[in-house]
Amino acid sequence: MDTIAERDQWVNHIHPLVKLVLTVAYIAACVSFSKYDLTGILRMGIYLIVVFILGDISFRDSLRRLRIVLPLVCFVGLFNPFFDREPYLQIGSLVITTGVISMVTLMIKGIYSVLAAYLLIATTSIEKICYALRLIHVPAILVTQILLTYRYVSVLLEEANRIMQAYALRAPNQKGVHFKVWGTLAGQLLLRSMDRANEVYESMTLRGYRGEFYYAAKEPCKGKDYLYLFVWLAVFALLIVI
Amino acid sequence: MSHIHINLEHVSYSYEKSVPILKDISFVAHENDSIGLIGANGVGKSTLLKLLVGLNTDYEGSIRVEEMPVVKEMLPKIREKIGYVFQDSDSQLFMSTVYDDVAFAPRNYGLSEAEVEKRVCRALEMIHIEHLREKHIYKMSGGEKKMASIATILAMTPDIILMDEPSIALDPRNRRNLIHILNEFEHLKIIASHDLDMILETCSRVILMANGEIIRDGDTREILSDRELLEENGLELPLCMQRI
Repeated sequence: MDTIAERDQWVNHIHPLVKLVLTVAYIAACVSFSKYDLTGILRMGIYLIVVFILGDISFRDSLRRLRIVLPLVCFVGLFNPFFDREPYLQIGSLVITTGVISMVTLMIKGIYSVLAAYLLIATTSIEKICYALRLIHVPAILVTQILLTYRYVSVLLEEANRIMQAYALRAPNQKGVHFKVWGTLAGQLLLRSMDRANEVYESMTLRGYRGEFYYAAKEPCKGKDYLYLFVWLAVFALLIVI
Repeated sequence: MSHIHINLEHVSYSYEKSVPILKDISFVAHENDSIGLIGANGVGKSTLLKLLVGLNTDYEGSIRVEEMPVVKEMLPKIREKIGYVFQDSDSQLFMSTVYDDVAFAPRNYGLSEAEVEKRVCRALEMIHIEHLREKHIYKMSGGEKKMASIATILAMTPDIILMDEPSIALDPRNRRNLIHILNEFEHLKIIASHDLDMILETCSRVILMANGEIIRDGDTREILSDRELLEENGLELPLCMQRI
């Protein structure tokens, strides 16, 4: 993801605050559609298509990366057809109920929102997103948490992997981890994470950290950033109105 | 006599009251000293280094860095002057890219972005890792991470360098490079290490510790060539002094 975010694409150079505001506005616009307004929500897909093209981002890779999240999002509206059985449309003998429509609309809203967030991180580095969050006065402690979580997920996974490898080497005939040691292994991981967190904090304080994280070079919004923002906000407004 | 940078008087410390880690430690370090801190595992070398930068302040006795007592109120000023390299580089490098990590301290000290850039470039040049500038930390090898973590403290232009096992995870070429860097650094440096050959090449003075106490403090060659003393304290002669 970091490699994609740092490519020299035009959309990657748009100010992070503009992209953050647009993402939030886009998600809010998607959510504002009525649950039966299937065509309306489908039209909102235009933003995603344009950003995918501008950022030269592979749609297939995106689906692969989101393969765990997207089914969960789709699960949200799964029960609507059972509760909302009013007929909405009849094609021959096939009756489509309002429940089915609202389910599909909900699913699309969820998928669009996830894809919009994905496009934000695919075109903006985590430091720049954090910088943008601070510009809109999201508390420093929260933003620092986001940044450090992003940085240390890989370290935590490595540590978990090491624990699993050490276990597997001494339990060659077992498939997976025996339930009796689940607690111990999870505890080990927790203790290591706490030690790590403490050392990271020490390292930060030794290099002048006093509660405010300086993520990236400050950069002002330029004309093209404002233009990009207002064009898209106008498009969103238009898509909601028509 | 050169200026005193670090002064410890009768310092004792324990994590738990019943188990003392450091006992009555006293020594003075001057501005151009290069001191190797040696001893077997668990003798308190890392703890001693941590006390010097105020990571633990509930010690007994007195620690002064550049005439300032190591107490909570003075820590920001003291830490501006000291660069501390952790044993585990993943704890030292918490930003996503090398550039942002090396720039972290200069940015915190309120330097302009142009000055930050200058400091970062200079630090990376000194370590010869300019090519790693935009590299993501999680994609780097152990040796690369170690070099990058040394660059993070050089960007602070410290008066004192403290290093905890700096040669760990380095391949021979990077280790040699590190030795050159340490020898080029003219200010006070204290290096805790088991790599006695590196200590021999970089330090003029050695402090040998055992059971939380200073056993010997003196000339590097004299101490590191004393086989009996080293073996009594869980160490061996440096490899270059051992007959093959």
